[in-house]
Amino acid sequence: MGSPEQISQIEDIHYVYGSIPVNFAYTLGVAGERFFREIMENGRFMGTRCQRCEYTYLPPRLYCERCFAGLDDQWVEVGSRGTVEAFTVAHVDLEGQRLAEPQLLALIRLEGADGLLVHRLGETKAEDVDIGLLVAAVLRPRRQRKGSLLDIRYFRPVAA
Amino acid sequence: MTADKEFPGTPLSDEDVSQGKVLITETDPNARYAWDAGIAIGRFLAELKKGRIVGRRCHRCRRTMVPPRMFCEQCFRPTDEWVYLADSGRVNTYSISYIRWDASRVEEPTIPAVIEIDGASKGMGIMHLLGGVKPEDVQMGMRVKAVWKPARQREGSILDIRYFRPY
Repeated sequence: MGSPEQISQIEDIHYVYGSIPVNFAYTLGVAGERFFREIMENGRFMGTRCQRCEYTYLPPRLYCERCFAGLDDQWVEVGSRGTVEAFTVAHVDLEGQRLAEPQLLALIRLEGADGLLVHRLGETKAEDVDIGLLVAAVLRPRRQRKGSLLDIRYFRPVAA
Repeated sequence: MTADKEFPGTPLSDEDVSQGKVLITETDPNARYAWDAGIAIGRFLAELKKGRIVGRRCHRCRRTMVPPRMFCEQCFRPTDEWVYLADSGRVNTYSISYIRWDASRVEEPTIPAVIEIDGASKGMGIMHLLGGVKPEDVQMGMRVKAVWKPARQREGSILDIRYFRPY
């Protein structure tokens, strides 16, 4: 049973505009702090390894999610190269606006790690990307790094 | 009283954050929105722009509702007709507020109130501000009247009424 009245004139449509300020600061935690500092200061990737579960967390975790063992003294360096485990081609940005150039996003497993990193692929085209593709991290110059995931510009394909 | 239990963890101090001792990711998501007022509130707002308060009647329960709605939630049927109401009424309830919406303090308190509009059914009213009255002089049941913005400044918003004053 709907209403018999309808809006037929576009001028009769009323909107109330608003904006919610929801800016926030996210701290990275002990493990995240070390992970990003190592990338920023030393250009290397550090994960944490659970010996019992034989699993290397990347991004690193302070506790094993499987057996709850503490891992804060179980840091291991992993490679800056890895393989593409999954990828997608994004044509719109976060707000749904069309991108001038489609962007390649991939799940990457770094050498020696079990966990996956989400990042961009560069210096390649969608048709040239395959699962299993060998890629390497391209870091920003040391002085431009800020301790964020964007200190890695993207991953580019490398020869095996 | 027992002593505070110590929890494991790594607490952060204000200094850690303000002096950049820890890495921080700051995000400012775009949370703009446009809320579609719908048929009933759409007309209500359009009428405010003309300096009128409009309600909606249900012929079955004979209630006159304001703010208007197209559906009677008591009879479970569409409402039937538009009715113009007075721009006066009575204070149903009120509060004295010393803070803004984001909880920051204000010097001069505001007096938000629910105002039962003359011509609408008992208990029907709109939320607005009281003005031209001291907080200590406000009483429930007090008669009040809308103070409108000049016609040219009205834009189809509940703020087209500045406040309600005693009269």
